[in-house]
Amino acid sequence: MSASLQISKDHPLFDEVAQIDRAKRNPAHFAPLYKFYHERIFLYIFKRVEEEEIAYDITSCVFVKALTYLNRYEHRGLPFSSWLYRIAKSELNQSFRDKKAQRTVSIDSMQLGVVMEEFNIDENEHQREILLKVLPLMKDKQLQLIEMRFFEKRSFKEMGEILELTENNAKVKTFRALIKLKELYTKHNHQK
Amino acid sequence: MIKCLIDRVTPSKEAIKNRQNFEAILSKVPKKYSFNSPWFYGAIGISSVLVITILISNL
Repeated sequence: MSASLQISKDHPLFDEVAQIDRAKRNPAHFAPLYKFYHERIFLYIFKRVEEEEIAYDITSCVFVKALTYLNRYEHRGLPFSSWLYRIAKSELNQSFRDKKAQRTVSIDSMQLGVVMEEFNIDENEHQREILLKVLPLMKDKQLQLIEMRFFEKRSFKEMGEILELTENNAKVKTFRALIKLKELYTKHNHQK
Repeated sequence: MIKCLIDRVTPSKEAIKNRQNFEAILSKVPKKYSFNSPWFYGAIGISSVLVITILISNL
């Protein structure tokens, strides 16, 4: 028996939960959910791996796994996407462990400017280089927070849903990650 | 070592959509047997009762 949270008809996630229940009874009914979430999950993976083809392969694995374990899914008030992101995160980690994929951080230079603004540092080529050098030195959990907040422009609420944290906790941890990045940046800048 | 890629070109929405293949996903999902379904046990139960009833009535 499913212990899913019961939701009312006027709840924004009602249709999605109904769709999931239909897919649990017949996997063919998963198609609309697959079509709806495919792009989002692919982009999440693409930004973290070097090769596009590998990103497509991992995306397929995510949906195969989601469909295989759909009966274990229980609605807990979070959007279905947060469950898919968590599967994607675990599939990515598996690919990195198996050395099938290279961990990558995709950075938009405009967003890098935003991080530099947070640090109150002038945006020039030299400072950018230092920042790019210290980013990979961060712990993966902290790097993920910086990546989601600044390079993917996600809200703290969404970050919390993906990382299984409360919105406030996501905010606090991102702030700590920024402090850590600034420490690394300052240390590296003084060494130069 | 983590690699930083700056201003990487993202595949277009159309290109991503063209790579969707739900049939392939569905074919990779392991088939489930209905042992855990209440229908399975219901059917077994009813047929057992019927067999016992027939056997008793034939005695």
